[in-house]
Amino acid sequence: MAAETTPLLEAQDLSAFYGRVHALKPTSLTVGEGELVTVLGPNGAGKTTMLRAMTRLTPASGRIFFKGRDITALATHDRARAGIIMVQEGRGLFGQMTVHENLTLGAYTMDASETVEERIASVFTLFPRLKERYEQIASSLSGGEQQMLAIGRALMAKPKLLMLDEPSLGLAPRVASEILETLGQLNRQGLGILLVEQKAPLALRLAKRVYILSLGGIVAELPANEIKSHHDLSRYYLH
Amino acid sequence: MVDMTQLLQSLVNGVGVGLIYGLVGIGFCVIYNASGIVNFAQGVFVMLGGMVCHTLLTRLGLPIYLAAILTIPIVALSGILIEIAVVRPMWNRGAALFAIILATLATQLMIERITILTLGDQPRSFDEFTSGGPLKIGDIAIGYQIFWILGCGALMVGLLWLFFTRTTAGRALRACSQNREAAALLGIPVSRMLMLSFALSAALGAVAGILVTPTQVTAYNVGTPFGVNGFIAAIIGGFGSAAGALAGGVLLGVLQAVAIVMFGAGFKNVAALSVLLLVLFIFPAGIFAGLQGGKAH
Repeated sequence: MAAETTPLLEAQDLSAFYGRVHALKPTSLTVGEGELVTVLGPNGAGKTTMLRAMTRLTPASGRIFFKGRDITALATHDRARAGIIMVQEGRGLFGQMTVHENLTLGAYTMDASETVEERIASVFTLFPRLKERYEQIASSLSGGEQQMLAIGRALMAKPKLLMLDEPSLGLAPRVASEILETLGQLNRQGLGILLVEQKAPLALRLAKRVYILSLGGIVAELPANEIKSHHDLSRYYLH
Repeated sequence: MVDMTQLLQSLVNGVGVGLIYGLVGIGFCVIYNASGIVNFAQGVFVMLGGMVCHTLLTRLGLPIYLAAILTIPIVALSGILIEIAVVRPMWNRGAALFAIILATLATQLMIERITILTLGDQPRSFDEFTSGGPLKIGDIAIGYQIFWILGCGALMVGLLWLFFTRTTAGRALRACSQNREAAALLGIPVSRMLMLSFALSAALGAVAGILVTPTQVTAYNVGTPFGVNGFIAAIIGGFGSAAGALAGGVLLGVLQAVAIVMFGAGFKNVAALSVLLLVLFIFPAGIFAGLQGGKAH
């Protein structure tokens, strides 16, 4: 099923190997402008590999278009400059740096139209708890705070597409819910989001479309609100 | 019986040369932190610092301060060339780190040969930056160059601290040292940061070479001993820690000086390697990391 909105991101036949293991079989996926798309799948399904292939952290064949432009040849940092920012599983924080330093680095690609401090202020509006931890070393934050920092840092770059790899992993349900609600809020403001989760009823409530990944390949694509009508999928992903 | 004056004199000299080891050690750390590469061509930057400065002094007749200031970017450029010509092609092809490290060692040997062919194999030196002296405190003579080494060493450490904590490029370099993938995902060009680390590291080596040459001589082959001692200083300090490398260098310089006085010149390297083994035995992560109970930062 094609996205209703103009594709912000279009991956065509992405395929990746780890040694001789075909970790990601030819996979195609789209995310529309301002759309929140969820990718679900069990452990080892290839979700992380897919995101790594999209950011070129993992070498992959296939092609990637961003806002209609072929970015297949772009290096990871150039894809970030183009507007694709990814929050890694495990958050990928600079653990020995302060919250402030992490946020400042998030604005590495910014132009001069806005100051770093203005952007930090907008992140604090979204995650007030980070303001209280301003000078704290990132590794000393709680899991939930670290995830807020990882997302806040990603937002500092003013991305056009935010990709998140299991942001709720290891978090208390209440904190995970809080973070996912924030993502929903960002999406309502127009931010395109590609959200990878294992089992996420809340993510499905936020998402417009869902891709199901299994054994390294996409096995289903459907509107998120239709998942209930698929007995097997709803049993696995909603309960 | 050891003469106390002689011992104190050696301590002073040991601090001076130890600071040089420390600067070389910091150079190791800067590249290692950005890439995980131990650059065994580090000592060659010390040699080039002395040789280039001497060449600018004698062939172009420049005053020492101008020659010294011009030497730093010239040697930094050599660091950039090593990164572009040797390290980056291997890095981009995903070569194993140990292969890249061996390539830096080969680079050192190649640069030494080029130096012989272009500048000759004769040792050379130049005057201390400040004429006169030495300063006498009792029976101990302290050459003015030691003060230059102390002052410039402190200045370099201060500038490095400002660079790493107050500038975007410095923070980006630190980010690369902690998580290269996360840095790239934020738009930080990791390979350019690697080049910057080689330039910085070479500049540090150049400063060390310029400062130390008036107190001894420079020649095509001085890079190896400075490289080895700088490497030991970095290990003692907990590889990766700039402050640790500097302190490790001073400790190493002082111990070598004491060993020379007490046991003779032949024991200089024995002392250095014994200290290294002892430190690694007691504090495998380096003495300063060990004292902090973890990894040095």
